Amino acid sequence: MTSAQSITTAPNTRLIFTSLLRADFIVFLKNRRSLILSILLPYLILVSTNSKKGTAHLGGSLFVIGLSITYGIASTSIMGYSLAVARDREKGVFQRLRVTPASTRAIMVSRLSVQILANLIIALVVVILGARIHHLSLSVGQYGLVLLVSILGGAMFLCIGQAVVALVKSSETVNSTARLLYIGLIFLGLLGQGGSLGQTWDTVARWSPVGTVMTLFAGVLNLSAWNSRDVESLLAAVGYIVVFSVVGIRWFQWEVR
Amino acid sequence: MATRLKPNSDSCVPVGKGHRESSQDQLRQDPILDVRDLSVSFRTTKAVDRVSLHINRGEIFGLLGPNGAGKTSTLSAIEGLLKPERGTVLVDGVDVQRHPALARSKMGVQLQATSFQAQLSIRQIVQLYAGLYGVGLSDHQITERLDAIGLGHEALKLFKQLSGGQQQRLSLFIAVIHDPVLLLLDEPTSGLDPQSRRQLWSRIEHLRDQGGSILLTTHSMEEAQAVCDRVAIIDHGTVLATGAPAQLIGQHRDDPLVRQAARGAVTLEDVFIGLTGSEIRD
Repeated sequence: MTSAQSITTAPNTRLIFTSLLRADFIVFLKNRRSLILSILLPYLILVSTNSKKGTAHLGGSLFVIGLSITYGIASTSIMGYSLAVARDREKGVFQRLRVTPASTRAIMVSRLSVQILANLIIALVVVILGARIHHLSLSVGQYGLVLLVSILGGAMFLCIGQAVVALVKSSETVNSTARLLYIGLIFLGLLGQGGSLGQTWDTVARWSPVGTVMTLFAGVLNLSAWNSRDVESLLAAVGYIVVFSVVGIRWFQWEVR
Repeated sequence: MATRLKPNSDSCVPVGKGHRESSQDQLRQDPILDVRDLSVSFRTTKAVDRVSLHINRGEIFGLLGPNGAGKTSTLSAIEGLLKPERGTVLVDGVDVQRHPALARSKMGVQLQATSFQAQLSIRQIVQLYAGLYGVGLSDHQITERLDAIGLGHEALKLFKQLSGGQQQRLSLFIAVIHDPVLLLLDEPTSGLDPQSRRQLWSRIEHLRDQGGSILLTTHSMEEAQAVCDRVAIIDHGTVLATGAPAQLIGQHRDDPLVRQAARGAVTLEDVFIGLTGSEIRD
């Protein structure tokens, strides 16, 4: 520390972002158990529905794969992301980063980038497992589209997670809120999509975050049947992203006072 | 030189201090930290009310005040964590609000409750923060630097696995990893045992001797009196007095409230109690 050499320029933005990304990636690797757990539930769904009756009840193999990927990315985005952010906020990790030359945007973009990577891994593993278990033959293009939808769906669930952590301050409450939300979405998807709750709930499920993403996954896995419902689901997903990101950014606080 | 500021003063010009005032003014023209007319509010509560202060090169400056006086809010505004309602903060001539990245690259900060990512090892934490400040450190250099602060053998441990003193050493090490011109320390000795505290003060004084400027908050008046070149006593968001500890004592020695607080020779703590009152703050 010296007053003789005065710093005249801020550190390189690229170096800052690379450092953040590297650290977040190390954290991601050390948390691989949660990634495995996020793949376990989709895997169980794929295995347990590996019968004509079970698959038909949920709208066919493509819907089952869509459902499985959706639950995988929803669990890591809504529960994993929001809880990690809430805990780091509570411990003062963000404040420590914010007093460095790193911008708040770089801090969050780095975190989100790693989370998007996690979503891509989950989507890829689940779609490969799903295709094998349900004896489907998918093209490279279909795999690519699945990854694109998983980015979109992941973004939507991350925005929901961000909204949760923006509206709820305590990490304990974020944890329970995210779990309740996730369980609610699971039941809405499973029961509503199956039609066992009646027409009204079927409609609610269809337009719920889970429903729109499931529809999109099923749509890209069977492009020949792509229709206006898929387009509407795409628009709904974008709408959810806009609404929840506005809530998540507007009300997010970097520290708990 | 004791320089008492009028409460709510929008200027940092000392009141009636003879010829040393002019030399102080000269230093004032090129301060490392220049806070002018700073106000910070949380909804309807004014946490910092038109605070002005400056820190010269090679100076340890203590910001003293009871709980809730506005010390941490002042520090947070200087760090750019809080957006002030009014006023400016210049670090080495750079406006913190206008050029936050450049201003922060000139500052080293140790927060009151610092925590690093729980999953990162000490070595990875050092790599991260070196990168954030644009400092290129090889693995060998990191090892050397950790050895120098006695943490070489802890490089693979997690932050939470370090003792309180080791955590404090690492926090300070990271705060100065980029050779900042200004070091901000928020209650750096809080929770430390006497040995660790003594060692920390030695490090802080060493940094000052190398030409660094340090702004710190502390509840320990003894430490402030022993180590700080100048202090400011703040309460209810307002600077009540500023000056060298010995001169503040001299200036307020005969104040009735200070005499009432004193048990023997008047200390900085007696002046502090005399100025801020004896009631307990939460």
